[in-house]
Amino acid sequence: MSLSDIVGILVTTVILGSIYGLVAIGMTLIYGTLRILDMSQGSMVMVGSFIGWGILVVAGWNPIIAIVLAFVATFGLGTLTQLVSVQPLMKRMNSIDFEMVTFITTFAVAMILSNVALEVLGPQQRNVTPVISGGINVYHGVNLPYQSLTMAIVSVVMMAGLGIFLARTRWGMAIRAVAQDLDAARLMGVPVSKLYPLTMGLASALAGVAGVFLGGLYFAYPSAGDLPLLEALIVVIFGGLGSLPGTVYAAYAIGLIQAIAEVIVGETWSLPILYGVILLVLIFRPYGLLGKPSEARL
Amino acid sequence: MSERPSKFATAFPDMTAGRWAISGVLIVIAALVPVVVSNEYAMTVLVTTLILLVLNISWNFVLGIAGVWNFGQLAIYALGGYGAGILMLHTSLSPWLALLAGGVVGAVAAILLAFPTLRLYGIYTSLLTFAFAEVIQYVILNDGSGLTGGSFGLPIVRGLFGTASIASANRSYYWTVLAVVVLATLAVAAVSRSSLGIALRGLRDAPAYAAARGVSPLKFRLIAFALSGFLAGIAGALYVSFNQSIDPGVMGLTPMSIDVTMLVIGGMGTITGPIIGTALLAIVQTALVSHPGAELTILGVFLLVVVVFVPGGIVGLVSRYRKRISTWVAEDDSGGDPAENDDDVQPEGSTEQSVA
Repeated sequence: MSLSDIVGILVTTVILGSIYGLVAIGMTLIYGTLRILDMSQGSMVMVGSFIGWGILVVAGWNPIIAIVLAFVATFGLGTLTQLVSVQPLMKRMNSIDFEMVTFITTFAVAMILSNVALEVLGPQQRNVTPVISGGINVYHGVNLPYQSLTMAIVSVVMMAGLGIFLARTRWGMAIRAVAQDLDAARLMGVPVSKLYPLTMGLASALAGVAGVFLGGLYFAYPSAGDLPLLEALIVVIFGGLGSLPGTVYAAYAIGLIQAIAEVIVGETWSLPILYGVILLVLIFRPYGLLGKPSEARL
Repeated sequence: MSERPSKFATAFPDMTAGRWAISGVLIVIAALVPVVVSNEYAMTVLVTTLILLVLNISWNFVLGIAGVWNFGQLAIYALGGYGAGILMLHTSLSPWLALLAGGVVGAVAAILLAFPTLRLYGIYTSLLTFAFAEVIQYVILNDGSGLTGGSFGLPIVRGLFGTASIASANRSYYWTVLAVVVLATLAVAAVSRSSLGIALRGLRDAPAYAAARGVSPLKFRLIAFALSGFLAGIAGALYVSFNQSIDPGVMGLTPMSIDVTMLVIGGMGTITGPIIGTALLAIVQTALVSHPGAELTILGVFLLVVVVFVPGGIVGLVSRYRKRISTWVAEDDSGGDPAENDDDVQPEGSTEQSVA
């Protein structure tokens, strides 16, 4: 393995890890506060890609408008998803099948979103103009497109922003309070019924922004969210559901494993190898790297 | 029907003579359908739906009755199909043996999948098994060796009734698959009422308590996976045989969405739920066949509405109403004083409602 391979692996790790982190951190945030696994996150990525396509290609406007609009639109969509598919079930929160039932309802939302997109926009893959074109040569033969670099920076900034939001602001602290102890948070006057839609909107907005960039890397099409969803699922299992630091570590660890696998065995087998690694992690740590058993969480 | 052997009666305690009679009449009607239907397209749809029903019965067993959140069932189904298809393609083995071999492949794949899920709980199981299914699909799609044919699937497989004309083959398939459906339903019903079924439901509803009472989670989860994997493998083998081909399109999110919707709408964890759900959604699908996008959107809305407003699916709804009426009648008989409040909503398919 030459030095340029190693540089290439590091660059890929940072890029992949940042995308995975941005999509997966929303799932973790939702699981931590609401104890549901939101299967509609992939569709939010798809919606983000289509907004990117609409603003950048059809309207020809500034990428910043695309990002802001994607944030706002998927925030609204995520809030709506919560109100439609989760809020009516909240009274069953302590029943044994709550996780399963919400898994299915959010899955139903994902089904509706991607098939409405299929019906309205058609199955063809749309090219999304990269937010920024060109790239820099990092090392002999290792090219870093500005698009990927911007994406990594935006992801890191958004993850850091989320961290500051959760640590410092009133609403952020309310989210953490609910995640730690629902009843105590209620007693302290946290408006839980407003907080849940907000949390899911926020998480969906992160996925929507990721979608604008992913659309530039791949395409915008109705099932564009499937692969990001699978990757986010792998990341959140690996990191431990509900653990934000665990998710960020896991995103970069998964990025590293995938980058190494791509160099050594090629892209075709990198996903199966990733799966093998996850399998091993789960056999030895059934709740992921930093996850806690749900009995301990309750 | 009253002269049935007593062994049979103990295996199906919920089945009164009247219920046996109704089931028998329904089976006879189902068996007579090909005599009446002469349209070959309709026959193809019917056989495809019945094959899907076999798969749904197998999935319902592991998901609803055993309560293991296995979302990798479609991969097991596909593996059974590919196993049988490759045997039919490359060996001169009797296709009926290949069909059984498909079931064995499914059972083995399911047992292998069961091991890593043993220590997992709830949602982690569904994540792991879902990822397993995606990876199996990915590997088959990107298979360069030519064994599976990649995204094009297996070339023409001779199937069970290779030389027969289309019309007679369709009918033979219909009766074969119907027989498998009847056998599978009887088997699942018998198992879910046996001590094995009680152990599985115990592990589902109170894992720690069941384990403490000596019900081995390892043993029973392996048995549940093996049984449902065998059935799913048979379903896959029937699929490859009937369609004379199989491709990775049988797996993935879209078919999974449809199957999950069928199970949830019918009533997960019940015996008749998969049958009702599959039949109902097959009708919806056939009606919307020219609008693939609208079809799944409507299924998604159905799924959402049923989960939110009708927990337990159609079967759960029916048995809840029947229970309410019988309580009502009983109250009337005993003089109006309500003995107990029977309004509590039970978790999906708990012991009281699991056979409808």
